[in-house]
Parts: sequence; C-alpha cells; structure tokens
Amino acid sequence: MTKHLNRRRFLQTSAATGLAAGIAPSIAHAQDPLGIALVVPSPVGEVGWSHALAAGLEPIKAEYGDGVNITILENIPEGPDADRIMNKVVSDGAKFLLAGSFGYQNGAMQIARRNPDVTVLHASGFMVAPNFSPFAAKYFQGTYLMGMAAAALSKTGKLGSVSAFAIPELITSINAFTLGAQAVNPEIEVSVVWVNSWFDPAQEQDAARALLAQDCDVIFSNAQDTPSVVSVCEEAGAYVFNLNSSMKENAPNYYLGCVETDWSPFFMESVKAHMDGSFEGRNAFLGVEDNVVKVTDWNPDIPAETKAQIDEVEAAIADGSFHPFTGRIVKQDETVGVEDGETLPDEAIVSMDWHVAGVTTPLPN
Amino acid sequence: MDPVLLVASIMVSATPILLAAIGELVTEKSGVLNLGVEGMMITGAVMGFAIAVSTGSPLLGFLGAAVASAVLSLSFGLLTQYLLSNQVATGLGLTLVGLGLSALIGSNYEGQRAPNLPKLDIPVLSDIPVLGRMLFSHDFVVYLSLALVVAVWAFLKYTRAGLILRAVGEDHESAHALGYKVVRVRMAAIAFGGACAGLGGAYVSLVRVPQWTEGMTAGAGWIALAIVVFSSWRPLGVLVGAYLFGGVTVIQLNLQAAGTTVPVELLSMSPYLITILVLVVISARGAHGAPGSLGRPFHASS
Repeated sequence: MTKHLNRRRFLQTSAATGLAAGIAPSIAHAQDPLGIALVVPSPVGEVGWSHALAAGLEPIKAEYGDGVNITILENIPEGPDADRIMNKVVSDGAKFLLAGSFGYQNGAMQIARRNPDVTVLHASGFMVAPNFSPFAAKYFQGTYLMGMAAAALSKTGKLGSVSAFAIPELITSINAFTLGAQAVNPEIEVSVVWVNSWFDPAQEQDAARALLAQDCDVIFSNAQDTPSVVSVCEEAGAYVFNLNSSMKENAPNYYLGCVETDWSPFFMESVKAHMDGSFEGRNAFLGVEDNVVKVTDWNPDIPAETKAQIDEVEAAIADGSFHPFTGRIVKQDETVGVEDGETLPDEAIVSMDWHVAGVTTPLPN
Repeated sequence: MDPVLLVASIMVSATPILLAAIGELVTEKSGVLNLGVEGMMITGAVMGFAIAVSTGSPLLGFLGAAVASAVLSLSFGLLTQYLLSNQVATGLGLTLVGLGLSALIGSNYEGQRAPNLPKLDIPVLSDIPVLGRMLFSHDFVVYLSLALVVAVWAFLKYTRAGLILRAVGEDHESAHALGYKVVRVRMAAIAFGGACAGLGGAYVSLVRVPQWTEGMTAGAGWIALAIVVFSSWRPLGVLVGAYLFGGVTVIQLNLQAAGTTVPVELLSMSPYLITILVLVVISARGAHGAPGSLGRPFHASS
C-alpha cells in the first residue's frame, strides 16, 4: 500500500492516528509490514527529482506487496517542519526512512541516533552512521556521454547549461558534459547560466533563451524539476537533455536524451539489508556500474559513428576501465586540475568547486 | 546580445508583474493593503490554464482567470471590510489559500500544454525594421497591460470615480462623512486588483512558460507588491518599476550567458538589490505618497 500525503493531509491524519494509538496500543507481530516513509521537498508529479525517488520504491512495493507499508510525504519544506514530520512518521512506526533532500540531513541524523532500529537513507548528504547512509548519483557519468552527443550535433560549437545552484553535484555534471564534448570536438565551448533557484520555471526559460541568443544550439537542463527549459528548446529547434526522468514528450523532435536515475536497485538492496539485519551505513555514490545512472531516449539524429563511440565509453565506465575525470584536465584558470593519467577520487568529485577549461562562464565564488 | 530579442524578452518578463502591480495599486489607492497578490496570481495561473486547456481558447482562459481571482479577492474583501479582520494576516492567508487551492486544482493538468496565444502583429507598425519586431509583434496581453496603466492613470487623475477612490484611500472618515460608500468603493477596488493579479498569473501559465506547474509564479506577487511602493503609488511609476525589474532580470541572465566577468552572485541579486535601493531612496526622501488610510480598518459607526 502506498499513501501519498502532503503537509496538510499529513497534519489532518496525525491527530486521528494519535488518538487511535492511545486507545489501542499496537502489539508488534513478526508479520507486521515494514513501514517505509519517503519525505521529499517538492511535488512527486510526473517528472523530476521527487518523482525519481518515488519511482524507486515501486519495485519494492511490487516485490513485497502487503509486507511493506509505503508512505510518501511530498512538498515538505526543509527546516523544522521536515524534522517534525520525519519524527512523527518514525513514532508512528516507520522503520525505514528516506530523507529526500540535502536540507533534511541534521534532523534525519538525529532520528537515526535516537532510533538505532530505524534505517535512514539521506539524499546528497555526507554524514554516515551505522544506520544512516547518504546517497548520491554519479550524474557526471551520463553527462559525459551527453557531451559527446551534443558536440556531434552542434553546428555552432557552443553548448549551454541552465543550472540551479553552483553546488558540487551540478558543477561536476557541467564539467563532465564539457569534457565529453571536447572528446569529440576539442574547440567546443560551454556557457552556463545560474538561476540560483531550484524552482522558477519562468526564469529558467529566460535563461534558456539567453543561451540560445548566444548561439548555443544544445542545452543541458541541469536540475530543473519541470520541462521549462526543454519546451523552450523544442520551440527554438535546439537539442536539449535533462536529469532524473524523461521529458521526451515535451520535446518530441529535439530531445537529446535523459540522464535518468533509477534508485530502485539501491533502495531494494537497502530494504533487504534492513530486513535481514545486515544494514551498514556507508556513503553510497552510485553510478552506471550500480545500475542507478542510465542514459535513455537517445535522439536518432546522433550520427551512428558517434553513437557507437558513446556505447563504447558507456561500457568502459560501467566496467571501470574509463573514468570521465581522468587527467590531464586543465581548469578554467589554466592551472592543472588533474595530472596526466591520474583519476580524481570520489572525495574530490563530491567537493568540486572549479570549472574545466572550455566553460566560458566564471564560477560563482 | 540581440537587442531585438532582449527588449522583446523584457516586455514579456515584465507583463505579469505589471498586471499584478497595477491592480494592487488601485486596491491600495482605496486604502486596502492586500498581501494576497501571490495567491491570486497563482489562482489565476491555474484557472486560466485549466479553462484554456478545457475549451481550447486562451482568451476564455484569461477571462476565467480574471473572474476566479476577483472572486478569491472578494473573500478577502468580505473578511477585511465587513468582518474587519486584520488586513495583513488575511492577505497572507489568501496567499496560502491560493497556493494550496491551485496545487489541488492543477494536479490534473501537469504535463499538458496550453493552446497557443497568437502574436498580434500590428499592421504597418510591425513591419518597421528593428522596432517592429521589438515592440509591435507581441500578444494582446502585453498591450493590454500597457493600456491598463494609461487607463488607471487617467481614471485616478481625471474622473470623478477616481477622485472618490482616492478620497476613500486618503481619509475614509471624511469620505464617509461626505456620503461616499467607503466599503463598496473598496470592494470594487479589491475585485479589480484580484482580476489584474489573475490576468498576470494566467500570463505566466498561458504565455510565459506555457504549462502548469505547482507554485510557478515563484514570488512574482511579492515583487508586484514591492513595485507598488517603489512607484510611490503612481501608475507610471509602476510601469517603470515592472519594466526595470523585468529588464534587470533578463539582462543579468543574458550577461551570464555572454560570459561576463561580473560575479554571478551580483548579477543574480541585482533585480532585488535595485528594487531595495530605490525603496530606500524613496523612504529617505519622505515623499513616499502612501494613501493616508492604507491598511486601516473602517468602522462606519466611528
């Protein structure tokens, strides 16, 4: 069973739940379903970040049926509200908590420390505890491949990215996109517009138009939860791709593809580990090799030769024989970021605060 | 940067804020402070989108948006003018209601595309080199917003009804003593403000974006409120404020795209920074022009 609750519906049901709990104290049975709660900062909707997280729970529901009780709490703002709601679902019996936003980190960690029998998965964070795993996707693996396709299709040699905030996760995606494009065309340039918002469809579209006005003919919609950028590019006849979930129906002709995240393998593995008591907190940085990151909906306009190259590189990323951040990589300021033959370790990737040469826009300080 | 595209983008960017701000100006000129502009805008956005998608007519969408937001604003009017609730608290409540209601109504419309609102190529004028594409090839709502500014200016300055509205806003006691129906005047102003906010919201969902997404007005209503103060409660000041804010927003994005060396943070904050600086200058001058009875409850018995 899956319940979708927003903050308002959650508050309405909380009072009734509390009353029922007082009247009839619950008796734990071995066959009681496992309570799984997903808390996300935006509407689950049809596309985007929250949608991808919710979709990751579908196979668990299919496999365990009545053995799990899934509650999805959407549109929960970061801060005290989220902390209170996460505490409430745990006190109501949830033993597996998915905290779906970076800003939930401290509250979720407190819950993990106070409740050693509760397993917590936290999106995009860095704290680890025996029952607490942060998880993040190696989007850069997919954006490298997209860069290769973009360079092959670009007529102007100028690519663009509409990006939300200058955080490492987004910076690495832009850098890998640039490096992938340079692997096909070393002269390629990438312009970035930072909208400094996770959600502002109108401004995202203005940003896309600004890039198109600069002759960028392939656009990377970097962390937009709506098809705002995708629809502008379709209208303008510029290729476009995005992260998390496919927006192909918003751009039937010029959709380059999607760097999708399928969280279900990781969620399934974590739920199984929780059930058999073998769960151990770790920093889960997941990619193509974990079947979490995958590129889908490739545009048929990509030249066959380039597509064959892309498939080779994708296979090499999956088997570990190739890494997008293998040197020599030069930074935007012309210093060396990664020496020849060296590979950037995960710790350096998750804290990346520099652009590679070829990105024309200065990085915010 | 192509100046033609730039100016055209600025006009589109400024239009929803201009519509909401000119409506709020009339409301505030009557002495009512309605902080529910964001809620009315988002209601207009969802109702306009829903009606346009259902009927296939963007014009009906705009009309429906105006009516829906006017009705919502009248609930604010009922609470503040008849039941004398606090205007600030009720306005904030209106925003929360609008955001929640729009999310509920809009859940069935996510992922759908709005019918196209055709551009209004003004004969002869749209053929003028450069200026034609820049100024005379927009949709009718852009021109409606500009016409509304002129109409509101003329209404407030030259008509008897406009004089009565200003009198009610400046000193409701005196206006009441002269026999004017203070509450009725204010209810009409509130409804007009709601309708304009609804049009602004519908412009976002039907033209600017054009699709429905929960929370898509993303604070435009709050900017509209600031622009009314920025304008010193003058219609032409609202026009300047909306176009300045829209302009700086679009220009900073274009400067980023062009790879300018100006720090991104400074560019991103510039629209808000400029608005705040102008507000500070206006306050320092003291001649801010706020209506004398703004936000004060009116008791007919007093």
